[in-house]
Amino acid sequence: MTNAGGPVIAALQGALAAEQAASYGYGIVGAHLRQRSAMQADATDDWVAHLRASDQLAKLISARGGTPTPAAVVYQLPFQVSTPAQATALAATLEDRVAQAYLGVVALTETGLRGFGAEQVRAAALRAEAWRGSTQPFPGLPPTSLRR
Amino acid sequence: MSTGAAPADAAHGAVSRRALLAASAALPLLLTACKGVQALGTPPPPAPDIVALRSAIYAEHTMVARYAAVLVLLRSQPPAGSTPQDLALVTAVSAVQAEHTAHLAQLKSRLVQPAGSAPSPTPAPTVHVTGTVAAQLTALEQAEQAASDRLIGQLAGLPASLAQLFASIAASEATHVPFLQAAGQGQ
Repeated sequence: MTNAGGPVIAALQGALAAEQAASYGYGIVGAHLRQRSAMQADATDDWVAHLRASDQLAKLISARGGTPTPAAVVYQLPFQVSTPAQATALAATLEDRVAQAYLGVVALTETGLRGFGAEQVRAAALRAEAWRGSTQPFPGLPPTSLRR
Repeated sequence: MSTGAAPADAAHGAVSRRALLAASAALPLLLTACKGVQALGTPPPPAPDIVALRSAIYAEHTMVARYAAVLVLLRSQPPAGSTPQDLALVTAVSAVQAEHTAHLAQLKSRLVQPAGSAPSPTPAPTVHVTGTVAAQLTALEQAEQAASDRLIGQLAGLPASLAQLFASIAASEATHVPFLQAAGQGQ
């Protein structure tokens, strides 16, 4: 990932990297869900959503004079996936990471980008809730960032 | 008539000059005093981020109170209605209320009170609920969506860390909508 172009490009590149990782991860998720099931259809929908978000981010980066970093060929999974339950857990984890990356965009001062980032945090949290079946009080925020 | 008027005017003019000199000497003192009184009497208006933070804190207080009222309604259901679905609904509503309590705590921790001032007590909103459980769940879902949209609408101009907290809470509140819908199925 290149940080050339300052904090705006860096935040957008961070979100792009998370979207690319999620796109790859959903391939693994879909492969471990029952073929032609409703869950597999949901995984396909979410995979498409991440591909579209990647395209949008690439355009935003290019429009600001940056060069979108290409996706990696392969990504290391956070844990082994060999069952449908592990696949849904992976989908939720991918969405958590996407939400966290978009909070970097929310930190920017440009109003339009901040709103875009917040909408994407919300979209990722909604997908995570659908996979996990439960909610989280602070999607995307690491526990260390919360005050006691 | 004109001859009598001239000395009187001259005397009046002399007094006026003395008064003017005294007044001009006192003017800076008067201005300083006025400035001092103004500085003490009119505190500056709170910054926009403080206004947004206080608004968010009040909104979370209200949400916690609404969930508490719905929990009272749920627990007042006759024992015959305490099916596994009812119990699961109580658990779900309690879980969401706990998240609102966590939101409230984080928001309050960001509100820095000026030195020497007592924390301004937030009046606890009084919430009464009537009607069916299903109607109350629908109302909660609408309130959650509205709260999420409102927080995202307040992001402009906030400090970065507060904007991130608002965005995260907005996302959490949006997830309460499908969560409550799933928990309330069969009501």
